[in-house]
Amino acid sequence: MWNVVKSVLAAFFGVQKEDRRREDFEQGRAGAFIAVGILMALVLVLLVALVATLVAR
Amino acid sequence: MRTFIVWMAGCLVVTLMVPVAMAQGWNMPVGVTDVSREVHSLHMTIFWICVVIGVVVFGVMFYSLFRFRRSRGAESANFHEHTTVEVIWTAIPLLILIGMAVPATATLSKMYDPSDADLDVMITGQQWRWRYEYLGEDVAFTSSLATSREQIRGAEARDENYLLEVDEPLVLPVDRKVRFLLTSDDVIHAWWVPELAVKQDTIPGFVNENWVRINEPGIYRGQCAELCGRDHGFMPVVVHAMEEEEFDAWLVERKEAAAQEAMGVDREWEMDELMERGEGVYGNICASCHQPEGQGSPPAFPALAGNQQLIEDVEWHLDKVINGVSGAAMPAFRNTLNPVEIAAVVTWTRNAWGNDTGELVQPAEVAERLAD
Repeated sequence: MWNVVKSVLAAFFGVQKEDRRREDFEQGRAGAFIAVGILMALVLVLLVALVATLVAR
Repeated sequence: MRTFIVWMAGCLVVTLMVPVAMAQGWNMPVGVTDVSREVHSLHMTIFWICVVIGVVVFGVMFYSLFRFRRSRGAESANFHEHTTVEVIWTAIPLLILIGMAVPATATLSKMYDPSDADLDVMITGQQWRWRYEYLGEDVAFTSSLATSREQIRGAEARDENYLLEVDEPLVLPVDRKVRFLLTSDDVIHAWWVPELAVKQDTIPGFVNENWVRINEPGIYRGQCAELCGRDHGFMPVVVHAMEEEEFDAWLVERKEAAAQEAMGVDREWEMDELMERGEGVYGNICASCHQPEGQGSPPAFPALAGNQQLIEDVEWHLDKVINGVSGAAMPAFRNTLNPVEIAAVVTWTRNAWGNDTGELVQPAEVAERLAD
C-alpha cells in the first residue's frame, strides 16, 4: 500500500523511476492506484482550500 | 570557455537593453496609488525572474548548440532517465511559481477589498461614452470624447492628448477610498486607467467592484479596453484627482447646479435657449452615430435631417429618444439625460438642418412623460 501512495505522489510530481514504473505495471492492481489517486486529489484540494482560508484570514 | 564568455556577454547586452526600453515609456506606469505601486513592483519582480530564466536557459542552449556541434565531432549522449536531474528541474520551477504566487496573491486580495469606502461612484459604459454617478450625492453626468472631428479626420494637427480628452472628466478626491461600481447599458466595455492600476470589465446586468485611493492630484487618462463596437477607440476615460477641499467644493457646486437644473424643468423655456442647449447635447451624445449634420450613416444609424417620420410625429420622436429602439443601436436615454436635455435635443433636431418644424418641446412635457 505504501508503494502505491509513493507511486501516486510521484505521478503528482511528474517524475518516476523507470524500475518502479515497471514494477507497478507488473505487480500493482489498477483499482488501487485509481482509488488512492482520487483520495489524494481530494486531499490536495482540501490542502489548497486550507491554505487559502488561512491566508485570507 | 571563450565561446561561453562571448555568449554570456551577448545575453548581458540584451538584458541591458531593458532599461532603455523602460526609459522609452514602453513599460507599465508606476501609477499614483499604493496598489498601483505594488502592482508595478510585482510586475518588475516577475519580469526580472523571467529575464534571469531566459538568459540562463537560452545561454546554456545556444552555448551547447555551438560548442558541441557536429562539425567538431560531437557525439550525442544516449541515456534514458536521470531521476535526480528530473526532480531538480521540476522542483525549481515549482518553487519559483510559489515564490511569485505569494506576493501576487497578497496584492490581489488587497485589490479585491472595496470595503469601508468614503465615496461610491457608479460607472456605466455606454456605446460610446461613460456615465458617472456619485451615489447618494445627486450628482451624475456623462463623459464623452472631446477631440475635435477635424483632428480625427486629419484636417487639423493632432494634439498631445488626441483621443484622450473628454468634455467632463471624472472628478475624484485624493487620500480617500473611492469605490467603483461598474456596469454597462449595452455591451461589455472595460474601464481602464493605467496610472490607477484599474482595468475592470463593465458588463450589462452585472455590477463589478473596484476601488482606488489616489495619492497625488493630477489628470489621469485611460481608454475603453474591451472592443465594444464602432467607436470603441473614441470613448476615453479622464480622471481629475483633486485635493480633498477642492473636491468638496466641486461636489457642492455640482449639487447646486443639479438642483437648479431640476428647477428649470418647471419653467417655460425659450426657443433660443433650448436650441443652444440642444446643439451641445446633440454634439456630445447623438452625433457619433447620427453624424454632426444629422445625415446619419444608414442603415444602422438613420438620418435625422429630412426624416419625414421625425418631422411629422413629435410623439414618435420623443418616444425613440426616451425609450430607445429595441433590437437596434438606439439606446434609451431616460436615465442618461435629464428632462431639460431631452427637451433641448429634441427641439434642436426638429429645427436644425432644414427640419424647420418651428416646434419646441418644453422640459415639463418631457418630465411628465418620464413620470408615466
